Amino acid sequence: MPPRGSRGPLPPLLLVWALAACAARASEITFELPDNAKQCFYEEIAQGTKCTLEFQVITGGHYDVDCRLEDPDGIVLYKEMKKQYDSFTFTASRNGTYKFCFSNEFSTFTHKTVYFDFQVGEDPPLFPNENRVTALTQMESACVSIHEALKSVIDYQTHFRLREAQGRSRAEDLNTRVAYWSIGEAIILLVVSIGQVFLLKSFFSDKRTTTTRVGS
Amino acid sequence: LALYFHIGEREEKCIIEDIPSDTLVVGNYKVQRWDLHIHDFLESAPGLGMFVTVTSPTSEVLLSKLYGPQGTFTFTSYISGEHIICFQSNSTRFAVIAGSKLRIHLDIKVGEHFLDESAIQAKDKVNEVNIRLEHLIEQIHHVTREQEYEREREEKFRKTSEETNSNILWWAIVQTLILISVGIWQIKSLRDFFISKKLV
Repeated sequence: MPPRGSRGPLPPLLLVWALAACAARASEITFELPDNAKQCFYEEIAQGTKCTLEFQVITGGHYDVDCRLEDPDGIVLYKEMKKQYDSFTFTASRNGTYKFCFSNEFSTFTHKTVYFDFQVGEDPPLFPNENRVTALTQMESACVSIHEALKSVIDYQTHFRLREAQGRSRAEDLNTRVAYWSIGEAIILLVVSIGQVFLLKSFFSDKRTTTTRVGS
Repeated sequence: LALYFHIGEREEKCIIEDIPSDTLVVGNYKVQRWDLHIHDFLESAPGLGMFVTVTSPTSEVLLSKLYGPQGTFTFTSYISGEHIICFQSNSTRFAVIAGSKLRIHLDIKVGEHFLDESAIQAKDKVNEVNIRLEHLIEQIHHVTREQEYEREREEKFRKTSEETNSNILWWAIVQTLILISVGIWQIKSLRDFFISKKLV
């Protein structure tokens, strides 16, 4: 066992493992999906990697979208219609390009803003050089636990931000709807009532209508 | 640069980043063009470039540059809000050949200063922990900025909800008044009309 503190050339096995562990990636993108449109994303994944796809609709219509995930052979791994939010974890059964698509084809005129987060692989450990047999020092283990806590803080923060954006979008929709509806209703009310009176008056105003008929 | 998607040659594709102020955003991209002869994407197409345009929430253009087929762009947000990053190729072919499309690889990192992993391994133990701690501090600052921004947005949300609430009350009152006054006017008007027509 090499003495602690010495930093000779990394044993080849550790190096390979560190490189493989570094294949972890996460991509998150927020994009606008126009009505009747479909947008697909592709990612090359190695066999055995654990991946997570999470998506949420932030603004637009009924806040729902169709989502579909296919493996390189075209087998559908995940398919949901009109979902607002979902999270799907899978392990890649073979190497190749995986494809996931979001579709707004059922909607005629609303575009949706969709957020998705595609995580490939686990995060590499913070101190990969450390020979795992010896214990991490207090500093290093404090770093590791702060890092883990921060990751979950950032994760919660992202979820909260998306939920708040969705809530705010609904509140703004509600506000504009109330305004238009109230103005519309006030106008209809006035037009109908005034129209009623004039229509009624017009029934009695024809030249040939005799007021005498009522009299006799 | 693993995630990619396809767009048409002259199409513009935009993504939205809702970020707090003073946040650094780094984007890496790579673009490939579909070649009809080999029925695959060319590894590198000469002369192909991408216009990258970044618009701030106040519709001010923060960045608008032409990059080559592969590149990195960065910008720092001055205002918190939705920044829109748009990609469009500089292809000037007017007659777009059917079936031609572009493949764009994209990776966008928000708010963190990224570590040079090799630099860490070269230094000794104390420096390694030091660098990790600095990275963690940077992450915490990012979390704090996001929290500040969240506060602003929640305030806007609350204002909108309160405005809706008072709008509903106000309109209900106005409509009731309209209803009553129009009703009274109707009856009066008809009564006068019938009296003048000697029906009553």
